Amino acid sequence: MNGGSGSMSEIGGPSARPDDSGPDRQREDVARDTVLARAFVRLADTLASDFDVVDFLQSLSADSVEIVGAEAAGVMLADARGGLRLIASSDERMRLLELFELQGAQGPCLDAFSSGQAVQANAADSRSRWPVFAPHASDAGFQMMCAVPLRIRTNVIGALNLFRGTDTPFTGAEMDLAQAMAEVAAIGLTQERALRERSLLAGQLQAALNSRVVIEQAKGMLAEYLNMTMDEAFTLLRNYARDHNRKLSELAGDITCRKISRAALVQRRGQEP
Amino acid sequence: MDDGGRRARIMAAVTKHDAGAGADAGELIQRLCWFVVNEMDLSGCALVLMSGADSSSMLAGAGPHAQTVTGLQMELGEGPCLQAYNSGVPVLLPDLTAENANRWPTFAAAALAVGVQAEFSLPLSVRPGGIGTLDLCRDTPGMLSGEQLADAMVTADIARDAVLYQQYVPGNPDLAGLLATVGTDRIVIHQATGMIAAQLDETTSNALARLRAAAFVSGRAMYDIAQDVVERRVRFDE
Repeated sequence: MNGGSGSMSEIGGPSARPDDSGPDRQREDVARDTVLARAFVRLADTLASDFDVVDFLQSLSADSVEIVGAEAAGVMLADARGGLRLIASSDERMRLLELFELQGAQGPCLDAFSSGQAVQANAADSRSRWPVFAPHASDAGFQMMCAVPLRIRTNVIGALNLFRGTDTPFTGAEMDLAQAMAEVAAIGLTQERALRERSLLAGQLQAALNSRVVIEQAKGMLAEYLNMTMDEAFTLLRNYARDHNRKLSELAGDITCRKISRAALVQRRGQEP
Repeated sequence: MDDGGRRARIMAAVTKHDAGAGADAGELIQRLCWFVVNEMDLSGCALVLMSGADSSSMLAGAGPHAQTVTGLQMELGEGPCLQAYNSGVPVLLPDLTAENANRWPTFAAAALAVGVQAEFSLPLSVRPGGIGTLDLCRDTPGMLSGEQLADAMVTADIARDAVLYQQYVPGNPDLAGLLATVGTDRIVIHQATGMIAAQLDETTSNALARLRAAAFVSGRAMYDIAQDVVERRVRFDE
């Protein structure tokens, strides 16, 4: 994690006034802590049945802008082949900028993703580090940019980009906070993926079990209707499925629930060699 | 002990003689069944895959009563494992002579008749449903201890993941390899169900119910009657 020793109450944009400890300041602290707590609860809540990854990362973008004190934020995730894809942005300007980042294959988000480390740059840094990307950022009105990886231990699954229109650097505490939000989001996403994969596999297993039952039942029905052996019934079933480009188990299901009539099966038998 | 520690301890126990045992899901599940039987002094443990009441099959089992309890529930179409599968909640019957086993009077009587006194059925849960159950039984009455129950539930989770991730195990590129070996004894019952459905112009689930009832009334095994149907010695429309 990036250095920084700030406690939560020190976190804030350039307008924070650390010296002011009066009642107004305390009320602001409470309000900020509440915003922070709500954001972390949202980030942890990935196991709801109506979970949507885009909505989830959209709220990560919006929350990080508010909490870290940035003007815009965007999130990229690695796809199955390991390339980054833009998933969510806090505004349209950011979305275009991140597309330029992907197109030019350079920028803070890509560096944070490939190194697994937080990255920060001002306008001058960015021109030397990312000569293709930097002019786009400057055209969009951004002067200060940072990115933190979405990672779980050594596994990096994406990155969060944060941009400021001023040249005020992100403090260590702000970078820490962005990194913490990114890590909680990464854990939540990974859990959700594991769960989704497991229920996909379970569905395939159930389908495999069901299809065996229904195929045997359909063979029994054919054997009875057409007075044939189970082997002959299976051959007919297989040929019928092939000729009609159907899956064996779907065809078997149509037979057992009589979507395909007995008469149609008798007629089909006449066409068998 | 937390679930992670429990999982590590159970995995170590079932793979201690050779580290490669986990490579084959079928072998791993078999060892898990034996682990539970030995650890909890059971008379049977069975891992049953299900996609509904009519399509359950035992994937692995250990102990003299493994086949008994599973077979009985399939035969009768009722019992704690179907309840555990449908509800996703463990069903614990520490004493089959007791009142709470009366939810399944036929099953309880049949199990007691073959010497099973206690039965515990744990769901193999996968949101939103499940893929089967881990069934434990004992020839003496009595509840599992909290530790035993926790071990059994973690064992069920390990077995579930072994079944689900089988398709990623090298040399077993798909689920079909695993499934080809299970439930083959039920094939003739499914075929007979189809024939009876055709004979009676009924749905397959009603046909299966008729087959089950015929077995119950005659005291014969469903399998034997199904064999008679498939070999055309028995018809249901006469």
